[in-house]
Amino acid sequence: MAIDNRKPWPDLVGAERHEGGADEVLRLDDLHVSVHNGAATAVRGVSLRVRPGEIVGLVGESGSGKTLTCRAALGVLPGGCAVERGSVSFAGVDVTSLSRRGWERLHGSHLGAVFQDPASYLNPALTVGGQLAEVLRVKRRMSRRAAHRRALELFEAVGLRQPERVFHQIPAELSGGMLQRVMIAIAISCDPQLLVADEPTTALDVTIQAEVLELLRQLRDERGLAVLFVSHDLAVITQLCDRIVVFYAGEIVESGPAGQITQRPRHPYTQALLRVASVGDFGRRELEVIAGQPPPVGADITGCRFAARCPVAVPECGAGPVRSVPAGDQHQVRCVHAARAVVAS
Amino acid sequence: MTAVPATPAVLVRDGALPLLTVESVDVTLGRGWRANQVLSGVDLGIWPGEIVGLVGETGSGKTTLARTVVGLVSPGQGRVVLDGLPISALRRGARRAERRRGHVQLVFQDPLRSLDPDLTVAEIVAEGLRIRGEADREEIRRRVISALAQVGLDAAVLERTPGQISGGQRQRVSIARALAVEPRLLICDEPVSALDASSRNHVLRLLRELRDALGLPIVIISHDLSSLAGIADRIVVLYRGRIVEDGPLDRVFATPRHPYTALLMASAPSVRDDRPFSPHQLRRAGPGPAQQDGPEACVFAARCPFAADVCATQPPLADVGERWRAACHRHQEWEGLATRPS
Amino acid sequence: MSGRGRLTGRNGSGSVLRLPSAKIAVGVLIAIAFLAAFGSALAPQNPLAINANALFQGPSLHHLLGTDYLGRDVLSRLMAGTRLSVLTAVEAVGIGLVLGAIPGIATVFVGRSFDFAINRVSDALMTLPYIFFAVAVTAALGNGLPQAMIAVGILLAPLFFRVTRAATLEYARAQYVEAAELLGASKLHVIRVHVLRKVLPNIVVTTASMTAAALLAVSFLTFLGIGVQPPTPTWGGVMSSDLDYLSQAPWAPFIPGALIAVTVGALNALADAVRDRAGAGTLVTVDPIIHIDPSLERADGDRQSQAVA
Repeated sequence: MAIDNRKPWPDLVGAERHEGGADEVLRLDDLHVSVHNGAATAVRGVSLRVRPGEIVGLVGESGSGKTLTCRAALGVLPGGCAVERGSVSFAGVDVTSLSRRGWERLHGSHLGAVFQDPASYLNPALTVGGQLAEVLRVKRRMSRRAAHRRALELFEAVGLRQPERVFHQIPAELSGGMLQRVMIAIAISCDPQLLVADEPTTALDVTIQAEVLELLRQLRDERGLAVLFVSHDLAVITQLCDRIVVFYAGEIVESGPAGQITQRPRHPYTQALLRVASVGDFGRRELEVIAGQPPPVGADITGCRFAARCPVAVPECGAGPVRSVPAGDQHQVRCVHAARAVVAS
Repeated sequence: MTAVPATPAVLVRDGALPLLTVESVDVTLGRGWRANQVLSGVDLGIWPGEIVGLVGETGSGKTTLARTVVGLVSPGQGRVVLDGLPISALRRGARRAERRRGHVQLVFQDPLRSLDPDLTVAEIVAEGLRIRGEADREEIRRRVISALAQVGLDAAVLERTPGQISGGQRQRVSIARALAVEPRLLICDEPVSALDASSRNHVLRLLRELRDALGLPIVIISHDLSSLAGIADRIVVLYRGRIVEDGPLDRVFATPRHPYTALLMASAPSVRDDRPFSPHQLRRAGPGPAQQDGPEACVFAARCPFAADVCATQPPLADVGERWRAACHRHQEWEGLATRPS
Repeated sequence: MSGRGRLTGRNGSGSVLRLPSAKIAVGVLIAIAFLAAFGSALAPQNPLAINANALFQGPSLHHLLGTDYLGRDVLSRLMAGTRLSVLTAVEAVGIGLVLGAIPGIATVFVGRSFDFAINRVSDALMTLPYIFFAVAVTAALGNGLPQAMIAVGILLAPLFFRVTRAATLEYARAQYVEAAELLGASKLHVIRVHVLRKVLPNIVVTTASMTAAALLAVSFLTFLGIGVQPPTPTWGGVMSSDLDYLSQAPWAPFIPGALIAVTVGALNALADAVRDRAGAGTLVTVDPIIHIDPSLERADGDRQSQAVA
């Protein structure tokens, strides 16, 4: 499942290549993102990698920085936000300061995106098939007829029954689940290597959500598509993802293979999330809560940002910046206790 | 199913009559060619002191059912009876008078929309009392503070407006407004859908405490089955305007009698691998025979992998166990079919 | 942003008076109001005093704005005329407000047939041209400015009606109104507690604009000589007589003209300021949804604020 290196690489003026970047689809290095025109730093020191064919899940509460991170990866940071430090690399090429035109070439053919409310990303007056065909004609320079055919194939690939019928419908005539499938079809239409999905199933019914998650798995299996999946719902993340990255107050507090994170979480916040989240457990259980509130966006905190709510906080937690240390195979934790354990061993 | 039963046997429990009954209610919204039958033949009873989880997806009619119970929507057929009084038949002055008594209260889904942005928390929570004609300001203030305390809010929020407090607090103010008039039944429409997991559990815990302290029956409407697992006694599953299953939560979750309930449970994302079924086993691969799609057919037949000829007629909501009803012709067989390797 | 908050600063939105254009406008209007109240008393000369020796004089120390074709002091005439011009404009707006805003709110809550009837009456009134209507009314009720302004007031009513009704429709559909109904609220309670304070900014904006329109109507009517007998000074009347003697005093009409323009401009500026603050056009687009305090955005980890902010 290596990257298709035969695909013509967009002409990225001024972009540098990294060493050994060919086996990474996306790489974020010590990313810092500021908001409100530099007034606050909402994302601090985020480093992560997505390999080809990997499904990586970013999980955290609202305001934890996960959405900003994925937007930085897409080059679509909202107004007033900017990358202050660190880099974003796509397949080994640094795209942090990529121009508008550079991003336009990347979008679609190398990167695809799906967001929470599909209806607001589609033109309500045009047929969904027409909108998909338009993307194909513009990006792939297909003829009208070829685009139509390919659109039908794509609709079929994303599980829409009666693709010919759906082609001629406008967004208002389709349900949320169907619209999301249309969005996925558009996102993968030009065979990107990475699909970024920001809360794509949050607004969907649970039965439809299950179908869409299965679809994403299927696309990964069939096409080697890498997926960066963002959600606040830990259950969805654990269901779908190979690797989980846990965000808290703008930082990554833990990351690792899904099995490790759910069975042997090392960070107190991750442990709390697991206790609290409705992870599909239908037995009667106690309703857990996490005491306190997350800090305001960009708050200036010395030491661990979770310390104020942490059940096992010690004075050392507030002393200085907490390093991220290894805690197992490909498993990293940002916690004073884990650091101590590493030192001890 | 248009005849109104005299006293449905299912609605008498241990000799006790329910506090609220919904009797064979049909609701159609919209007019002319846009008319849409949102609820069909809904028969439901709520007993004092129970927490009922009402579950359904988009188009199930769960919000409409809540609105019908409180009278914001009038049933085309059937009626809603509270303690012997058919409240769905009341109009105008009589209805207002009944509402002022505050017996049934609805907590709306979105506190951003259901709280007046120009009023302070104190004014919002006191509104029901003022409408009732309570004149003594001290008394009002006392009861407002008491209602806020019941939901875990401090008197400090009294003079704030909804825009100045957080989302979880707004939701609690919404609940406090309902509590201030001392209701006998509380209906909460998706009270926690917009909240994060921790805040969600805060509010659910609060509702359970209210039931424990006041014996207040609470109906919680949700699309998320698993969040009800920690709190509800009973689960009612709605699909396209009909009740398909209604039974004690523990038993329903252990062995659901209706394939849709099982599909909901199987679809809920989970980290554990101990599910009896995968959603795949409970989904139909392609469209089925035409007679299973007709208006007379079982409402779930079009999606049901176990639909047979008998499913061309709508199954009645029948007893399948103690205090347990399900609307499925094949409720005893489908499980065996599902576990067969395909 | 919510209703009352926009005007008074509650709900964190800041008072409308913070805008410089609003401050100037309010200043001008206060001066005009002062003149309307005390103009006659404060006028330096007798506005009716004819002085055959001092015709068409330019501005001087004795006559700050010069004299007119009968030697009367222009400044005094304008100051004295303020009362009649402004008060009758206010009278017209008042009539329009009462006849328009009250049905505007009421029709939303009362039955269908009443609603239908009032709407048709409003439509009919909007078709009438005000000059002719004013002439007709003064012919029927007698030639006086107050009578003429009744006509103008009646014709302003449909505009108030439309604006108030549109605003009220929006708010009457809000979920907090439903919540109040569930508590047994009567329609009057809903109007009093929930609707009125939110519709008020729309009414204020419309009043300011309509006062400007009424003032122009007064000026025009008095310019045409309808409703007022010489030598009673009014702004429009002064301008009218000035135009007769344009060759002798070409500068003259600009003075009352400027006065009218400044007042109308101030009224419109005030209306714009209130409207901008409200974030609405003359038709309501005010969102009855709560404006979130951004500093609390993340306080509870909830996604509602994310959707709105």
